[in-house]
Parts: sequence; C-alpha cells; structure tokens
Amino acid sequence: MSAAGELSALPAVLTAVFLVSGAAVTLVGALGLLRLRTFYERVHAPTLGTTLGTAFIAIASMIYFSALGTGPVLHELLIIVLVITTTPIGLMILVNAALFRDKLENDGALQRHAKDGIADPLLDKGAPQEPRAE
Amino acid sequence: MTMPYETILIVVLVLPFAGSCLAAFLQSNARNAEAWLAGAISLICLMLLVVSYPHIVNGGVIRHTVEWVPELGLNFYLRMDGFAWVLAALIASIGFLVVLYARYYLSPQDPVPRFFSFLLAFMGAMLGIVLSGNLIQLVFFWELTSLFSFLLIGYWYQTAQARDGARMALIVTSAGGFCLFAGILILGHIVGSYDLDRVLASGDKIRAHSFYIPALVLILLGALTKSAQFPFHFWLPQAMAAPTPVSAYLHSATMVKGGVFLLVRLWPALGGTNEWLWLVGSAGLISFILGAFIALFQQDMKGLLAYSTISHLGLITLLIGLDSPLAQVAAIFHLMNHATFKASLFMAAGIIDHETGTRDLRRLSGLRRFMPITATLAMVAAAAMAGVPLLNGFLSKEMFFAQTIETHDNSLLDQALPYIVTMASMFTVAYSLRFIAEVFFGPPPRELSRTPHEPPFLMRFPVGLLVLACLLVGIVPGLTIGPLLRTALHAVLGDAIPTYSLAIWHGLTPEFLMSLVAISGGVAIYLTFRSYLLVAEGPPLLRYIQGQRIFDRVLVAVSWQFARRLEELLGTRRLQPQLQLLFCAALLVGLAPMFAHGIEFGGEARTSFNVAFALIWAIGCACALAAAYQGKFHRFAALIFVGGAGLVTCVSFVWLAAPDLALTQLVVETVTTVLLLLGLRWLPKRIEKFPAADPPERDSSWRRFRDIGIATAFGAGLGALAYAVMTRAEPDSIARFFVENAYALGGGTNIVNVILVDFRAFDTFGEITVLGIVALTVYALLRRFRPAAESISVPEQQHSQDLYDEAQPTREKGDTLRSAMTIPRLMMALLFPVICTTAIFLLLRGHDLPGGGFVAGITMAVAFILQYVARGTTWTEEHLRILPVHWMGAGLLITACVGAAAWLFERPFLSSSFSYLEVPWIGSIPLASALLFDIGVFALVVGATVLMLIAIAHQTVRSHRTPSSRASAASPTAEVG
Repeated sequence: MSAAGELSALPAVLTAVFLVSGAAVTLVGALGLLRLRTFYERVHAPTLGTTLGTAFIAIASMIYFSALGTGPVLHELLIIVLVITTTPIGLMILVNAALFRDKLENDGALQRHAKDGIADPLLDKGAPQEPRAE
Repeated sequence: MTMPYETILIVVLVLPFAGSCLAAFLQSNARNAEAWLAGAISLICLMLLVVSYPHIVNGGVIRHTVEWVPELGLNFYLRMDGFAWVLAALIASIGFLVVLYARYYLSPQDPVPRFFSFLLAFMGAMLGIVLSGNLIQLVFFWELTSLFSFLLIGYWYQTAQARDGARMALIVTSAGGFCLFAGILILGHIVGSYDLDRVLASGDKIRAHSFYIPALVLILLGALTKSAQFPFHFWLPQAMAAPTPVSAYLHSATMVKGGVFLLVRLWPALGGTNEWLWLVGSAGLISFILGAFIALFQQDMKGLLAYSTISHLGLITLLIGLDSPLAQVAAIFHLMNHATFKASLFMAAGIIDHETGTRDLRRLSGLRRFMPITATLAMVAAAAMAGVPLLNGFLSKEMFFAQTIETHDNSLLDQALPYIVTMASMFTVAYSLRFIAEVFFGPPPRELSRTPHEPPFLMRFPVGLLVLACLLVGIVPGLTIGPLLRTALHAVLGDAIPTYSLAIWHGLTPEFLMSLVAISGGVAIYLTFRSYLLVAEGPPLLRYIQGQRIFDRVLVAVSWQFARRLEELLGTRRLQPQLQLLFCAALLVGLAPMFAHGIEFGGEARTSFNVAFALIWAIGCACALAAAYQGKFHRFAALIFVGGAGLVTCVSFVWLAAPDLALTQLVVETVTTVLLLLGLRWLPKRIEKFPAADPPERDSSWRRFRDIGIATAFGAGLGALAYAVMTRAEPDSIARFFVENAYALGGGTNIVNVILVDFRAFDTFGEITVLGIVALTVYALLRRFRPAAESISVPEQQHSQDLYDEAQPTREKGDTLRSAMTIPRLMMALLFPVICTTAIFLLLRGHDLPGGGFVAGITMAVAFILQYVARGTTWTEEHLRILPVHWMGAGLLITACVGAAAWLFERPFLSSSFSYLEVPWIGSIPLASALLFDIGVFALVVGATVLMLIAIAHQTVRSHRTPSSRASAASPTAEVG
C-alpha cells in the first residue's frame, strides 16, 4: 500500500476504477441477498460478487502490481478461473436441494411418510451457506 | 581363578538375571534343564563368593563403581564387606538347596520356566540389595524383590488364595518400599550423598539433624513391612499360598531378612537414640510375643511356621532395637541360625504336604513310622527353633536372653523384659513341640488318601544339609560359624568388636536358667492345652482382630468406596461440567499471580488505528459472538460463523504481513470445517418439546448467565494477558538469530519454514510423531464408536429422498442425489489434479516462499476430502487406494532417515545441508536436504488428516451396513452439499 505513490497516473486510475467497480458489484450482490424475497431469487444475487466482483478486483490487482513491478503479473487469472468454475457447484447443490424440498411439499403422501417437515432447516441454513470459504 | 575381585561382584549380580532370562525361554516341561541351570548359577555365585572371601575377611571391602549420573552423585556402586558377604553366601547357598528341592517339589504339570525364571531373578534382586553401595540402588533392588515375591506367591494364580496373598504382599511391601525410598531421600539430603560409606560415617550428623525422626520413621516403615513386623505382619501368613520352596526361600530365609538386614546395616548411622530403642524395640517385642502366641494356635503347618517366622524376626528386630554392639552380635547370629532351621522346617513341611496331601495338623499324625528320616530331620530343626541345647538356636537365644537382662533405659518395661521374653519363649517351645508331636507322633493317620512314604533322596538332601549345619553350629560353634560371624561383625561394628563367647557351656548363668524355664514351661503349656489347641478356632481374643481383614476393609474403602464417592463427587460423563471445571481452574490459576503481583501493561507503541482493519475485526467478532449464540440449537449455522471468524483471522495474518500463517490458517480452517460438518451428522437433534419438567427444571437463565460470566472472564483474561505481553518491549530472544541466519545457515529465505525443518527440526520431528499418534488414536476411538440411539438412523434428508425415489416408478433409490450431484461431481473430479499440483507447488517453494510441508499436506488432504464428498466413501475407496497409514509411516521414516543421514557425514542428527543443482533448461535450482525432511512432514500430514477423515466417513458406511443400501456411500455428500 505504501508504494502507491510511485504509480503513474493511468495505471492508478485504472486500478481505482476496477477496484471500486468490483467492490460496488459485490455490494449490490450482498444487498440483493438481503432484499430479495424467495429462495430462487436470492440465490442469484451473491453470484454477482463471486463472478464479476472477483474478476474486477483481480484485474485491478493485476494492473497495480504489473505497473509497480518490472513485468506483467498474471497470477490473478488463476483466481478468476478457479472462482468461476467452483462457485456454480455450491449454487447447483443448493438449488437442487430447494427444488426437491418444493417437490416434497407438493406431494402430500410423501410428506406424510417423511416424519417431520424438512423445509424449515433448509430455509434457515440456505442463506448463510452461500459465501463459502472454499 | 584370576578374576579380579571387582569383576566377581558384577558377575555375581548379573549371573542370576541372565539365568532368569535364559530360564524363561526353556521348554515348559524342561524340569531337569531348569533345575540344572538354576542350580549351576547359584553354585557358581557361591563359589565366586567363597573365592573372594580372603579379601573381605579382616574388615576388607570390595568395591566396584560404574559412573551413571556422577553430577547427581548417582553411581552404580557395588560394595561387599563381611556382613554383605555372609548374607550373599546365605542367599546363594540356600538358593541352591531350594532349587534342588523345587525340582522334586513341583509337579510335571506346573510351568517350570516361569518358576525358575522368577526364582533366579529374585535371587539376583536379593543379591543386589546386599551388595548395593548406593542407597538409591538398594531401594531399586528392594522393590524388585517385592515384585518377584508377588510373582512367586501368585505362581499358582488359578487359586484365589494365591492371588489375594500375592496382592496383599505386594501392596504392603511395595508401600513400605515407597516409604523407604522417601526415607532414603531424606537421609541422602541430610548426608549430601547416597553413598553407603559416607552415610555410615555421618551417624552423628544424621542423629542431630531435625529431619532425623521423619527419616527414621520412613526407613523403619520400609524395613518393618519387609520383615513382616507388627503391625504389618499380616501379609506373611497370607503369602503361604506360595509353593513351599518359595516360602522356604523368600519368606523365611532371605527376603523377610531384608528388613532386618537393612536395620543392622543402617544401625551405625541411625541407631543409638531413644527413638530407635523404642520404635524398633517395641515393634520387635510385640512381633516376637504375638507371633509366638498366634503360631501356637495354627492348624496349618505352613501357617504355624509363618507366624513363627514373624516371631523370630521380631526377636532379631528386638535385639537390633536394644541398641548395643553385643545385641547386634546376637542379632546377626540369630539371623543366620534362623535361616538354616526355618528353611529346613519349611522344606520338611513341604515334603509332608507332598507325600500326604494335607498340611492340617489335626489330620496328620504318627508319620514317624512312615518317614523316619524326614521325621528325625524335622525334629532336630524344630528343636533348634525351640532353643534346645547343642543346637544353633540355643546359642543365639542364650545371647538374646543375656541381652535382655542388660539394663538399657531402666524403664519399667526394660526391667520386665527378661520375664516377658521368657514367657514368649515358652510359646516358642510349645509350638515347636506341637508341630513335632502332632505330625510325627501318635496313632497312624486315618483320613489320608494315600499312604505316605519317604521322599526321593535329593528332595530330602537339602533338609539334611541344613539340619547338619544346625548341629555343627550348635556343637562346635567356634570352628564353624565363629570366623564368619567375626567377619560380619567386623563390617558392622568396625574394629570395636565387643568380647563375646560362642561356647556351649557358660556355667549356671541367668540366661541358662531362662532357657531352662522356657523349655520346661513350653512343654507344660503344650501338655496342658493339647486337646484345646486341636479344637480352638484361632487364638482367644486375637481371633477377632485380624490384620488381613482390616487390610482388606481398608483396601476396599480406599480403592472402591472412596474412589467411587470421589468419582460421584467430582467426575461426570457430561462434557459441559468438565469444561466448566477446567476453565474455572485455569481461571483461578491465571488470576492468582495477577492478584499477588498485579498486572501492568507495557508502553510499546500501539498499532495505529485503521478503519478497514477495524471493520474486518468487527465482522470477525460478530461471527464469533453469533457462533456462540447459535451454538446450542443451530449447530450448522454456528459452524459457518466459526468459519467466518477463521477467515477474519486469515485476513488479519495477511494484513500483519504473515502470509505463511495466513496460508496455513486458510487450509486448516477449510479442513476443520469439513471434518466438523461430517461430525454434525452424529449429534442428536434438538428436542423441540421437552416432556413436562419432572423434576421441575432449574432456572436455565441463571445457568446461562453463569456460563457467560465464565466465558467472558476467561476471554478477557486471555486478552489482557496477550495485551500485556504484546505492549512490552520484546526481550532479546533467539528470534533475531533465526532472522539473521535463516539463509546463511539454513539456505532458505522463508524463515518460518527454515525454523521448522532445520533449526528446530527435532521439535518438528516430535510434533509430527504426535500428530501421527493423534490420528491413530482418533481412528482407534472411532473404530469402536457406537452412535447414540437417536442418531443411528439415516438422516432425514436422505430418508425423504429415498422415499421419493421409491415412490416414482421411473426412478430408483439414490437418483435424486445422483442427478443433483452430476455436475458438481465432474467439477470436483477435475479439480483433483489441480489441487494436487497446488500442494506440490506449495511443498517445493516452501523453503524460500510461503508454503511448506504442513500446508502442502493439508492441501493434498483437501483434494482427497473433495473426492469423498463428491463420490461418497464406497466409490472413492473402490477407485482410489489412499492407504493413509502407509503415508504416515513413510513420512516418519523419511524424516528419520533424513535426520540419520547426517550421521554418515559425521554430523549431529538432523543436520541439514544445501547446495545448488544445475538442471538443463531450468537452470540452477537450490536444493536443501531440508526439502526431503519437508516431504516427510508432507506425507505424514496427508496421512494423518485423511485417516481422521476416513475414520469419520466410515461411521456412515458402517451404521448403514444393511442389505442393499447403495445410498450409504452418499451420506457424507448429503451432509456437505
């Protein structure tokens, strides 16, 4: 952070723009998670942060360190690729579980077989599960 | 023989132990080979002792020292003077006779290797006691004799009597040994050395010291328990469950003599005070009287002999307690005499038991006709025990009487002493007479199952030899025992040996009259009470006070009732109270010095405030609090919050420029979360509605406030401590050395890693070993884990999925899961090589950049865990053989070999080296032997982590192992997904 003063104008501006937009997109995603109503709606909002937000911030990092150092720094591309490939896994599993729950709720006979309702725990735990540590 | 005398000592000590090891490996029916071996060893020991006799004869001492920890004054020090020689010769010679006797005594069904192995080891331990020149070493051998006595008493462990007797003997004598150890430590503290020579030379210093009484009492506890003196005498009769050779050897001739040996040995250092006179003297006197009295009422031959042994040892102890040089002469003399006649009597009793099948005096009678030689031998031995003239017992007893007449402190008891001991000696004569008369005289026995006859000659031979010794010593004492006694006395009393006479006729002295009175009184007692003794159920009055009863009751109270009550009071199987106690204790321990000395914070410059960092920490704190809040009813949510707090910790590490830590924290967080998630499956579900509170539930809010209070206090305390440390100026620690020398000496720029694999590689080696042990322990614990009844069934989600699948005609069980996981599975499989590459990357760069074996290992484990999650346990293990135990073994082997390789270059264990290697196309790469070490760490961490994972995953597989349960494998998936 201390080296920021040595940066020339163009990279500095580019870095700032990407960093701020990445943060803004992530914030929008977080707000969406807060505001949207149903599970299927809410599940999409945080993905904004994990895809576009991460990508913007990674690009900002690339520009910043490339401009500071001697050559291009491209490590961050790996981050982008890995996040983009892994995030949908969590999403898919969540949505599948929710779909199954809905199917179960519509099927009275099955519901009677399964002892208690299983909807509640899923609904409670669905939201915070998403921003996964991996 | 030109063997130097010092070597003789070593050989005499080591030979029995070596023989013991050899004997243990012979065949179980090799009675003759065993007897030959043990007999030869005891004979060789005896010969070596005889050879060395000239060297110790006139106050000479043979010494042999091997340095052990000279800084602490602890040396292995063997020392043989005249007294030790006499005892050693006694041990070896009686040992030989007992071996010979045992060869015929033991039946072919008995496992002989065990017997002779223990017997030889006991002989070695006993020799160790008498030959020790260092008191600590003496205590060590002392305890060894207790141990082998335990093993030998319990030789026929199939009988409850043998087991109980062995246990009682062990508890009493080893508790005494413990006291002795404490006493010796005090003695060593007073003298400043454990060297026997120095201890014996500082008698005045010891007696004047304020710790004299505690040291004396503790040492006496040791000696009196070993010699079965009142009030610890009760174990000896119980020990008669041992085979008779053992009783003859350990419990009459040698081991029980250990106590009196020690008393005589330490008499120059500890004796000469009123405390000695009263403590030792009264213990001896009471044992003498009590033993003789109770012996008269015994119906069991061996029981009679056991109480008689207690009585005679009491006599010796009394003499030692009388505290005069002449009394020591009598004590040593009687010690030797008792060994001969009592061992022969035990052997005779064993022969009778062997030939008739009973030891009951009421059933035996008139055996004189069936075994005249044995009868004669036993009669002579019993006469020696009774103190009949012309036998050795008479001589030492007369000396004893003479000593009791002497004035000591002129108290009332001292004046009454001659009368008391004469009275007790009457009992001695009476029980000796009873033993002989009941067994050998009277009508032939009627209720015996077989006709008794003489035993084989060699079984009788040891008895004959011992009885011969009794006779020779009794008739020509000056020629036989005289020189030996003088040699022993020279060692104990120094040059100031008092004049004493070993003649058999001193004229009509008071002591002779006492002997006469005792003998005639004893005969009178026996004749008067003969018929009463045959029907009496134990001695009058005393039969209600039984030592072993009291001992048993105390034992039950201490080891069972008391322990149970303590457990009820303090123990719990619930985790919460345990943690509560633990934390409160830690809090108290932590607060105590804070109250005593106060706590002050240092004045180092604080880190400047930063909004972003504060925000991150606010989130972290919120996560931690939320985790605590949700922990009770929403474990899943709590776990996610814990993960959040962990991530904040990671970010903090990055912020504070510790990328290594951050990296490690990140992977550890990940694995921990996954493992905990797997564990959640086995916790019980929330009970939504409690049954009507009965008994009425206590106020839970109070409990919660209490818990919050404890937790807050603990956290605040830790925080305050950390703050106090971190605001202080850093002490000039070793850290600077690491920073400066990491590259110069370790060849790496990642200081943390260089410390781990180079500077402190030995620590790391230990740590990974511990990690391996922990993993194995987790595995072992979970292997036998049986989940609670409520969490055994399939989880609800899986249950309803299965129900749904079965309800649909087009689907089969597990389809829902399969379709939901299709794409995730593919992605996770594809990620496997990526993660593995990352792990290897982290491993290889570790020496210079953040990374290293530990992080790499956990990363690798993550790759495996992901496969388990994606495909389930069964599928994964069918397609991927991980063998975590092999990984762990390989890791430990690699680290050990890398460490040992340094020896090849004559460097210390785990020295590392590094150089540069020229590789075509890639260029010069740094190469440190520490990398190999790190690879070992890597392998072990992978193995340990995966082993724990598998242990948990297999729970699911096992608990669902019902017919046709394909879905079982998918269970972990359902948890994590």
